[in-house]
Amino acid sequence: MREMKLFLGPQHPGMHGNAAVHMFVEGDIIKKSYLLPGMLHRGFEKGMERKTWVNNISLIPRVCVVEPDINELSFALATEKLAGIDVPDRAKWIRMLIMELARITIHLMAYGGLGSPTGNYTLMHHAHADRNTILNIFEKITGHRVYHQYIVPGGVRKDLPNGIEQEIHAFLDDLESRYEEYRRLGVANPTLLKRIKDTIMLPEEVVWNLGVTGIGMRSATNKAYDIRKVMPYCHYDKVEFDVPVSSYSDARSRVDLKLQEVVQSIRIIRQVLDKMEDGPVRVPLDKGQAMRWRVPKGYVYAPIESSRGEFGYYMVSNGGTHPYRVGVRGASYPQGLLGIEKYLPGTRIDDAALWVDTMGVCSPEIDR
Amino acid sequence: MNSMNNIEHVQSLMKDICSPIKENIIDQFQIAYELKQDDIHKTLGYLKNAGWIQLSYLSAVDWPDTNEIEVVYILMNWKKPVHIQLRTRIDRENPVMPSIISIYEGAKYYEREAHEFFGVKFPGNPDYEKQLILEKWDDMPPMRKDFDPRQYSDAHFVGREYSHDFTELNNQPSKQAKRQQRKTRINSLDKGGK
Repeated sequence: MREMKLFLGPQHPGMHGNAAVHMFVEGDIIKKSYLLPGMLHRGFEKGMERKTWVNNISLIPRVCVVEPDINELSFALATEKLAGIDVPDRAKWIRMLIMELARITIHLMAYGGLGSPTGNYTLMHHAHADRNTILNIFEKITGHRVYHQYIVPGGVRKDLPNGIEQEIHAFLDDLESRYEEYRRLGVANPTLLKRIKDTIMLPEEVVWNLGVTGIGMRSATNKAYDIRKVMPYCHYDKVEFDVPVSSYSDARSRVDLKLQEVVQSIRIIRQVLDKMEDGPVRVPLDKGQAMRWRVPKGYVYAPIESSRGEFGYYMVSNGGTHPYRVGVRGASYPQGLLGIEKYLPGTRIDDAALWVDTMGVCSPEIDR
Repeated sequence: MNSMNNIEHVQSLMKDICSPIKENIIDQFQIAYELKQDDIHKTLGYLKNAGWIQLSYLSAVDWPDTNEIEVVYILMNWKKPVHIQLRTRIDRENPVMPSIISIYEGAKYYEREAHEFFGVKFPGNPDYEKQLILEKWDDMPPMRKDFDPRQYSDAHFVGREYSHDFTELNNQPSKQAKRQQRKTRINSLDKGGK
């Protein structure tokens, strides 16, 4: 059969962000494929070198569109490590609250996003409606819906508003009561199972070759390798939660893990609201003008667990008012670039969108 | 917690492999080393066998004052959770760093990116010179410190003319009015955004 060229994206419902998968196909089997990044490149790393430490707060959330909070936390942790700042207790709890709420939104979006390449739009609408409720909560806490600029070096910008706890509890109860419904719509839906069961496998040795982290790694290796567990930041060592794992990594089990992680995030948020105590939420960075804040020399890497795996900022300071170099380790870099090149050939055309969705390939993170 | 033991474990391993120029313990989960260029492959291979099977990050830092480029490798071991930073300095005029894809396959695209943005050459990586992100780039590698994006964009793109002067601030609502707007918005969220 004749070989044909095909592009998935950049404008395609199955593609996340502006990147394209360039495929060479015979029939509907992919023979060769690679990712075409670069359509979303905005020069963040260069831009950060040209702004002061405090100015950068407004820029960093924009690195990843659907999951901005990981950027804020990673930047804050790296800066605090460089400057030797100790964050107040309450700020750490609030950071965890924001991170876990954000994890629910992104998992719901990925779980619902499974709807678009498979044609199950009901799932997508349900997930987006719930995500919207969390965005309303975010707006009340931070004043912004998507890019919050809330977690800053030294703590968080301001304290939680009155009465937000009850609202979060009410939302969590509501979401939990509809867990079974989500299962029925998604991973237990017979129509959907035909498409996601036993497709786009990820064997264990491939995980180590690629350097895949997060759900991709945990679904294949059956090990609870989660940065929150193995090298806890904030107060993750003071709450109880499980890390869902599986030993057979097809699209179904990866999606299933996402839904199970939502349940664990709900568990963490309840403990956070329970254990949080009153107190200050922010420490001053330095005496005098924050814009002229100088951070001591050093090289630091601050990893955190995002919904897609290990995410971190590599930061270099030369003792000046601006960061000397900021490098972003995108969590989906390995599976997005090398994964598509090496492990997509042999699957069918429509599986490409499922790989992108279930492995959590996020193109803004590759083009930063 | 036995995490401090893990750092000591790394220190004892590194003693056997080579003599680092600098050692720096960042916290209980992270340690940084500065090495000579010739020691990098040896160290990476040894550490991979010792359990640091994941390459987390590879990038470069430009130091024009000393005319050097620093290549950075970050490794991760999930069983003994420690991140190891390895750094080495190479010449800036002719930056050549042999590729590590024979040790860590995942380095392939990181090296391509480092070549595009810093001009570091990675012999051994078959694709390192191929275009990845920047399309038809005709200037110096853009992440180098002496590259000025403002100058580049002034030279390559036509300036925009505005029909309206956006700098005037007379029509902006006052601070109080903005606060009132925000209050109304938050109240309306309770009623489903109406």
